Amino acid sequence: MAVQSDAIDDAGPYDRAKALSAFKLGDVTFYWITRLSAISVLLILGGIIISLIVGAFPAIKEYGLSFLWTQRWAPSADPPVLGALGPMYGTLVTSFIAMLIAIPVGLGIAIFLTELCPQWLRRPIGMAVELLAGIPSIIYGMWGFFVLGPFLANTFQPFMIRVFDGVPVLGAIFAGPPSYLSLFNAALILAIMVLPFITSISVDVFKTVPPVLKEAAYGVGCTTWEVVRSVVIPYTRVGIIGGVMLALGRALGETMAVTFIIGNSFRISSSIFAPGTTISAAIASEFAESDGLHQSGLILLGLLLFVLTFFVLAAARLMLMRLETKAGK
Amino acid sequence: MSEMSVSVSAPTVHPGSQPLPEAPAKVTARNLNFYYGEHHALKNINLALGTNRVTAFIGPSGCGKSTLLRIFNRMYDLYPGQRATGQLLLDHTNMLDPKLDLNLLRARVGMVFQKPTPFPMTIYENIAFGIRLYEKISKSEMDDRVEKALRGGALWNEVKDKLNASGLSLSGGQQQRLCIARTVAVRPEVILFDEPCSALDPISTAKVEELIQELSENYTIAIVTHNMQQAARVSDKTAFMYLGELIEFDDTSKIFTSPSDRRTQDYITGRFG
Repeated sequence: MAVQSDAIDDAGPYDRAKALSAFKLGDVTFYWITRLSAISVLLILGGIIISLIVGAFPAIKEYGLSFLWTQRWAPSADPPVLGALGPMYGTLVTSFIAMLIAIPVGLGIAIFLTELCPQWLRRPIGMAVELLAGIPSIIYGMWGFFVLGPFLANTFQPFMIRVFDGVPVLGAIFAGPPSYLSLFNAALILAIMVLPFITSISVDVFKTVPPVLKEAAYGVGCTTWEVVRSVVIPYTRVGIIGGVMLALGRALGETMAVTFIIGNSFRISSSIFAPGTTISAAIASEFAESDGLHQSGLILLGLLLFVLTFFVLAAARLMLMRLETKAGK
Repeated sequence: MSEMSVSVSAPTVHPGSQPLPEAPAKVTARNLNFYYGEHHALKNINLALGTNRVTAFIGPSGCGKSTLLRIFNRMYDLYPGQRATGQLLLDHTNMLDPKLDLNLLRARVGMVFQKPTPFPMTIYENIAFGIRLYEKISKSEMDDRVEKALRGGALWNEVKDKLNASGLSLSGGQQQRLCIARTVAVRPEVILFDEPCSALDPISTAKVEELIQELSENYTIAIVTHNMQQAARVSDKTAFMYLGELIEFDDTSKIFTSPSDRRTQDYITGRFG
């Protein structure tokens, strides 16, 4: 026993230092691997921005800022006339309508699932929502084109056009003729596509509300609606807005499904039942057969989408910070 | 048990608490049983909470005292599979009636929880919120009611200059008193305390206990506690529960000086639990 411990004591300081230095090497390697991974994100982002700017440079030089407010898109004219107003308008309007539909419905599903739903129905609905997120966007596009578009054009659109005929402002928004391919159809498909994001994130954050906090609210005599409105949603506000931002990011950039059903028209119409286009739809449908200035213009559109998404998400984050200061946190 | 545990004496009942005269029953339980699914959690509970009296519930963990408290405001209704049978009366209302308006019941029977549960809003709104559920009153009346409730919760002096700060910015003890004030603001008849001091420091505990004593002038109070000194200090009657049964229910002074059941004796002298 004694001999053994002596031996360890003798070897101790030396071995320990050696062992530690081996660890140190591992640590340094680990540090650099993680660091390089993190840096690679910046490099990729920077690379994309630079190549977008380089690709878009001829178009920037040719059109300058007027690119932003020109509605005409005539790549085969001589010289080509390119303006981004139509696609930008379409992108913002479709995303806006999609969020207008998806936020209340998505939150409604989440509230039902967490607060009201009987246990046995919870899993089927929850899984249906998850599956909705797993459907490839091309399938949404086809379904929108062959099923939803004709259905809307034959039922919902004529109804809305009739109802709002002659009403100021609304009459112009819901103006005819009905169409398979329209901003509204694209927005509706987008709403269905982003719904799972909003729902599943909301369900997750709703679950973080401590049961005792809800009990306390029920304890002063709140109804379920009052508990949800005054306790659950304020408590989870940050998480909900996070989910909405994620959904918005997806809606702004969604390409395939929208390209199918938006009609690819660069004209801006006051009616949401008229065909339009979005930035990503325009790029997807024209990029393959473009060249020269036309291609550069499309790349510039891509750059615009990048900037647009950045600003929308930044604005959402700013709103979030405002809310937090207002809540006195 | 070894001789050593004899030195652990029963908590002394504070001198002021002579047994009060028997009060008319506010809440009456007769043959009350409670089930978590198949599990029979409460067995044939018979007791009455005296009007404007403090009734303490003691017993080892899992004995069903919190469960009993949660029946008194039907909180168990939020969860499927939990049910109560037997009879439970609030004055003459059958509290187990499935058609009973639970929101109104919970306005009459308020509850303060183990952990402070301020709502995610300002201090002022935490109080006003509950009042607004039942009454439409003007801003100035509301200001009065909020002030009164916060005074009732012994919190006014500490928060009167920051009513618009978040309720979450208060300390734990202050949050708990805010929750008491919030409960009082709705003007209930019965207030249930579920281990209200277990997350609080000694000074906050003393404040809350004092508050409970004051509240008992106007409210019928039931308090679940693991702290036997606390039960002895604040309550008029004490119920000892064990394994889902009500073992003994008597004047607090009697429970802590000469309990009639062996198990009560063992519990209050610290031999188990």
